[in-house]
Amino acid sequence: MNYTITTNNLKSLINDLLGVSTVYAPKKAAASVLYEAIASFDEYDSTALMTNTSAKAKIYPQCDRLFEFAKTADSVELKVNEKGEKVQESILFGCRPCDAKGFALLDKLFSWEGYRDESYFSRRDKTTIISISCSVPQPTCFCNSFEDSGPASKTGSDLLLTLTGERYLVEVVTEKGKRIVEGSKYFEPATEKDTALKQEAEQAVLKKMPKRLKLDEIKKSLDTAFESPYWDTVHLPCLKCNVCTFVCPTCYCFDISECPKGYTEGERNRTWDSCMSESFTRMAGGVNPRSDSKRRFRQRVMHKFRYHVDNFNEYLCTGCGRCIKYCPVGMDIKRVLEGVKKG
Amino acid sequence: MSNIYSPNMARVVEIRNETSDVKSFCFEFIDPELRQNFTWKAGQFLILSVFGVGEATFTFANPQTRKQFVECSIRKVGLVTEAIHELEVGDTVGIRGPYGNWFPFEEFKGKNLLFVAGGIGIAALRSPIEYSLDTRGDYGKITILYGARSPMDICYKDKIAEWQNTDNVEVALTVDRGNDEWQHRVGLIPVILKEMNPAAENTVAIICGPPIMIKFTLKALAELGFADDNIVTTLEMKMKCGLGKCGRCNIENLYICKDGPVFYYSQLKNLPEEY
Repeated sequence: MNYTITTNNLKSLINDLLGVSTVYAPKKAAASVLYEAIASFDEYDSTALMTNTSAKAKIYPQCDRLFEFAKTADSVELKVNEKGEKVQESILFGCRPCDAKGFALLDKLFSWEGYRDESYFSRRDKTTIISISCSVPQPTCFCNSFEDSGPASKTGSDLLLTLTGERYLVEVVTEKGKRIVEGSKYFEPATEKDTALKQEAEQAVLKKMPKRLKLDEIKKSLDTAFESPYWDTVHLPCLKCNVCTFVCPTCYCFDISECPKGYTEGERNRTWDSCMSESFTRMAGGVNPRSDSKRRFRQRVMHKFRYHVDNFNEYLCTGCGRCIKYCPVGMDIKRVLEGVKKG
Repeated sequence: MSNIYSPNMARVVEIRNETSDVKSFCFEFIDPELRQNFTWKAGQFLILSVFGVGEATFTFANPQTRKQFVECSIRKVGLVTEAIHELEVGDTVGIRGPYGNWFPFEEFKGKNLLFVAGGIGIAALRSPIEYSLDTRGDYGKITILYGARSPMDICYKDKIAEWQNTDNVEVALTVDRGNDEWQHRVGLIPVILKEMNPAAENTVAIICGPPIMIKFTLKALAELGFADDNIVTTLEMKMKCGLGKCGRCNIENLYICKDGPVFYYSQLKNLPEEY
């Protein structure tokens, strides 16, 4: 069932929720806009189409403690989630559909083949994602290229709000989203006309978006492109600065590292890592199957648009375009993919 | 509360010097229930923690049929292995696993087995070798060819003596350079293998060693008439999670930690050489 909420009531809703949960929302921070905890609705920057970094870190932090350890006289004690770091209920408000879809992709990876990653799901389960559909796409946006994706797509969100005039159409996607609606006085049941207005708004935005990538054809080309000479040159401008992987809502590769504190205590942390980094696959002793820039660049493209598809039947990309926007040398993943097709 | 990256505590109960840079360690879980119930299959691996230094990946050196302890043979080569070499009996480490697939012994039944190990590759083949000795009736002839750089680099001298004394098991040892006391062969593994001329018919070759040895051993096996689907090997890649999540040990869409490390050569041949 769909609802509506007026812009004024949305403000009241968020301010009410602030009383019971931490609310993260796009917030100005110097020259950037980042997902940060807000103290009132007024701190929310509703004008930013896209935050500089993705919402990923709010559920999958850049550095996450897996456990602490303390050496005792005859053993070692592990403390998982101690130090009062119990995960709080939180709201991720103003999330864009491309970032929300990122979580839908990460959910599958972090529960793959029966191994459920509690460090990820402890936050995921306690976070309600209230997304807002996009109305003004940027030239780097290409979410329209993917299935279950787009400027007003519900994938990964708990509630999706789409502005139609003076109020939002509210689509309830999950039980978590339903609880927000049911626990509040601000929502009105939507009429058929409201829902039609949303569809109109969505179509209007889609018209402003770039031509869709023919991903099925690209995937087919990638299936036989591993040895292609295309890779010999396409990677050359890349500086291996890793920024594309760090701003990405779906890049999940991580490192597990030790942080000793003195001789008897320490932490084991899981931190984001990047396939673009030389040390990522370097073994003790120096052997490295992806020692050079070409192999690492190819791995990133192949992983997102071929290998992940073979394992999960979906692309490891939501088309947010941040990797294009923030690349210091202007690498454009769309052009790289189109180039594979040409061979 | 626990998570999938939490190790279980174990104690070092025995340390043996194998060579100047390889030591074998026996570990025993502190939790008596785990000590009793923990098991694995030859070919699988574990992830060992030295608290304060980090984790590294090792194959089980002993098979599930000899699981009084968990045993690993470890060459000192990096940060974590250096810390492991400093361990003393009684020290606590963390172990998680077992991870990965295993040697498909159910498919080896009724066949002859040819093990070819180069250098520290013997650590990965000791568990399938000893597993096959412990289930001896299931296979025909067992041949073991083990090569190292020099007599000083031969691991498992006591184990090898036991293997040699098992019925219908041929053990050949070779080194690149011998010395006055060396009673065995001298020469590179692929050359010795061809001299030994093992029958390819109804035989599975199980090989492990450094990339250059693997490359030429595969050539020698092909010349001896071994089909690609009668050659099995185990791969080594950098791993962090062991669970197919951290993203670094893939070849195409396969994660060596969960889809491997054991592969038939017929499978590997169709994959790009990114290992």
